[in-house]
Amino acid sequence: MSSSDDKEPDFSDVVSGSSSSAAAPAGAAVTRTYTVVSGDSLSKIAKKIYGDANRWKEIFEANKDTVKNPDLIRPGQVLKIPGA
Amino acid sequence: MRRHTLSALLTLLAVVAFGACAKKEAPAPEPTPVPVPTPVPTPVAFHVTSVDLGSAIGPDKKITAAASQFAPKDTIYAAVSTDGATPKATMKVRWTFGPKSQLVNEETRDISPTGPAVTEFHITKPSGWPVGGYKVEVSADGTVVATKDFAVKK
Repeated sequence: MSSSDDKEPDFSDVVSGSSSSAAAPAGAAVTRTYTVVSGDSLSKIAKKIYGDANRWKEIFEANKDTVKNPDLIRPGQVLKIPGA
Repeated sequence: MRRHTLSALLTLLAVVAFGACAKKEAPAPEPTPVPVPTPVPTPVAFHVTSVDLGSAIGPDKKITAAASQFAPKDTIYAAVSTDGATPKATMKVRWTFGPKSQLVNEETRDISPTGPAVTEFHITKPSGWPVGGYKVEVSADGTVVATKDFAVKK
């Protein structure tokens, strides 16, 4: 079974946002996610999201529970993107 | 002389009688109103009241164009209405696609409401949403409080 119907759609270009009529608590943070696609690296993702490849460490730090090696991320993996 | 005495006596009796008639008891003082205790508003515990989907919101964050079916180029909004006050509540929405619940996007936002509030979450996909069924799951402080299904059609 390798029909094209089995291929999962790519949602890596989804852009999200939020706002509230309620105040944010002091030090509140908004966390978004990013789904890794083939050819991605943390620095590429950082460049795509922050415009600065050097901020890959922030993504790595936020995902240490699932990313043990910053050079090893796999397509489909969902990463938390801090402060995006 | 006797006549004068009698006249004076009658006058005196008249004055006393008049005084007795005129003297009425002072009206009873108005009863002091018993103060009615002002009901102290019971604090409303923070909770989600509704989740609405649509393709547009107003300045108050509420959905202005409700929908459960969207076009591929639509921005999809989920407006989460809450009531009650809390120093901090963590709102989270999780958007998924298809029967396998493929993750589309996930976002969390901390809020500190003092009463009724609306928090909106939205997603867009510049290349267009794949046609099919989607679901948005809303959590408050780690507990799923609502799920909504919607579809994207051409």
